[in-house]
Amino acid sequence: MDLIQILVNGLSVGAVYGLFALGYTLVFSVLGVINFAHGAVFTLGAYFTYLLIGGAVGANGLLAGFALPFALPFWGALPLAGLGAALVALLVERVAFRPLRRRRADPLLALITSLGAGVILVNLIQLLVGAESYAIPTGALGGLPASFPLLGARVRTVQALLLAISLLLLAVLSLWLEGSRNGRGLQAVAEDAETAQLLGIDSTAMVRLAFGLSGFLAGVAGGLVGLSVSIAGPYFGIGYGLKGLAVLVLGGLGSVPGAVLGGLIVGLAEACVPAEASGWKDAVGYGFLFLVLLVRPRGLLGRPLPTKV
Amino acid sequence: MIPGRLHRAGTGLLALALLLAGCGGDGGKQPINLAGGVPVGAVLALTGNANVYGQDQKIGLELALKQRNGVGGINGRPLKLALEDSGSDEPGANAAFTLQINNGMLALIGPTLSQQAFSADPIAQRRGVPVVAPSNTATGIPEIGSFISRVSAQSSVIAPLAIEAALKLQPGLKRAAVFYAQDDAYSTAETTIFQQTLKGRGLDPVTVQRTQLNDQDFQNQISAALREQPDLIVLSLQAVDGGNLIRQLRELGYRGLIVAGNGMNTPNIYPICQKYCDGVLIGQAYSPELDTPANNAFLKAFRAAKGGATPPQLTAQAYTALQVVAEALVRLDKRLPLAGANLVEARKALMAEILSGSYATPLGEIRFTPEGEVIQSQFYVARVRMDPGGRSGRFALLK
Repeated sequence: MDLIQILVNGLSVGAVYGLFALGYTLVFSVLGVINFAHGAVFTLGAYFTYLLIGGAVGANGLLAGFALPFALPFWGALPLAGLGAALVALLVERVAFRPLRRRRADPLLALITSLGAGVILVNLIQLLVGAESYAIPTGALGGLPASFPLLGARVRTVQALLLAISLLLLAVLSLWLEGSRNGRGLQAVAEDAETAQLLGIDSTAMVRLAFGLSGFLAGVAGGLVGLSVSIAGPYFGIGYGLKGLAVLVLGGLGSVPGAVLGGLIVGLAEACVPAEASGWKDAVGYGFLFLVLLVRPRGLLGRPLPTKV
Repeated sequence: MIPGRLHRAGTGLLALALLLAGCGGDGGKQPINLAGGVPVGAVLALTGNANVYGQDQKIGLELALKQRNGVGGINGRPLKLALEDSGSDEPGANAAFTLQINNGMLALIGPTLSQQAFSADPIAQRRGVPVVAPSNTATGIPEIGSFISRVSAQSSVIAPLAIEAALKLQPGLKRAAVFYAQDDAYSTAETTIFQQTLKGRGLDPVTVQRTQLNDQDFQNQISAALREQPDLIVLSLQAVDGGNLIRQLRELGYRGLIVAGNGMNTPNIYPICQKYCDGVLIGQAYSPELDTPANNAFLKAFRAAKGGATPPQLTAQAYTALQVVAEALVRLDKRLPLAGANLVEARKALMAEILSGSYATPLGEIRFTPEGEVIQSQFYVARVRMDPGGRSGRFALLK
């Protein structure tokens, strides 16, 4: 396949993986656990976007036929959907993580409570809006063409936007983490929560901030993916959740640049799979992860674990 | 200590034995439980990625149930339908089949997907429970066993019709690209038929692209296929992945003909590929235009329930499946009264009754081979026509 086409295909998918994995990373960096409800928050972001642009609920579910009394343009709906997802992520933190943290429970227990929160959210979606597929209308991008040529390749406009927005968000987040007081506070808590607390940083607030940001990123990613493909029911986020986990591990647990790099690498690895073996692209992505972990168990940009003496 | 341990072990074994006995379910001399009506079970994919089919099928079953009970049920006793959601995977179908069988159903309708049928039907076969499949089109479904039948004509009958229709519309077609989901029994069975038909017409596929059921992004496969400059694209995919693929194909500039298989034979593709669904050719086992008393009654009931809409094939087939079971039960009850009858024997006799009958259904007159394969004479090809807004459309039959 042409190099440009591979790059375009791989980077656009990889950017979504990166955005998704970044949500995992933010929470992991401050709490040391993976938030398994992240995929459900991503799914909610897609549904929120669909509803905010005026989409109606189908014939199944408790909200059958429901539609908001207004319809926003896609560019207005997307950030609002991100905010809605952020609120849900904060709720997940309040219900599934904070009680355990207060009791100083083993962080591993939060894996189970977050998994439970994810299952509840997915089933709640199904209860409210049914299990059918929804799609954001193809005209949601206004007068933009469906695709355009680029150096001999053909690029779907939505994929280009997906790549651009994902990279923009990643850049803004990186700058914010390095250049703002709260960003540095978040990093300090990620380094050592107790020391950060002694230095006057409110670690509880930082944890909430991490969940809120993680939820916002997941919500925006969900809305963008929902625009690119359809929302294939309440379980829409599961595949991305699994891929996001692989990206998280590949990039290095807790590493922001690692999440981005891992996402892009997995996306490109999948795009490089020859056409005759295209059904095996998932296997290639996970196989690549396996090989990297064999030679670098902490992932590409993960920090080595401190040695206890 | 030792007697205590023995006691606990004995209690445990007794509990296990009781559990196993409970799981056995059928009980050799168990009578049919007719409280509330004559029990028939249905197992449909109401959640997961195949829910788009299950929702269509559920309407068909509900209409058939209403119709049957409106004309006296099973010789004066109401027909009772127990519906179970199988999800869209094999474990879900296995669990739902087992539950329905243990609950004493006389026959089962389902499951939705061929992939599920290959897993769940053997359970019904082992337990001696008749199965009438409303939508399994893969090769080899009735061959699973003597208790398995279907009202959905297999791919080898319908799939070639859409290729022929494409060639009739554009006789100069030369370069066909094929897509199919390699992890789905229906898709792999149907693509074999499609590819054989293409080769038979001198249209060797220029590329065969494999996908997976849960794929949503097909840019890699589409880019590879489009480089071969196809003028015909043939899809054996389910509704959600197929709808997404069509949308991405069109967005990436493909303007040629598209033939889709039975998996996309549902109006539920409209919201997925939207305006890009327009023009897709799909073989049909059902025509709303069939002017028979059975189809007219079905059409009337569907339109009354759905605000004048036209029923899709899956709804008509599900309606037919329950109609077949109900009519066979009526005949069986006259010959071998169900009240007090032994469940195991009644299930066996019901299967024989299903296979021996002839049925005037919305699909036309149908019968079964001794193996349980449907014998149906009328098939069609439809072209999807979307409304200008791309929100809704219709399957317009080609003349």
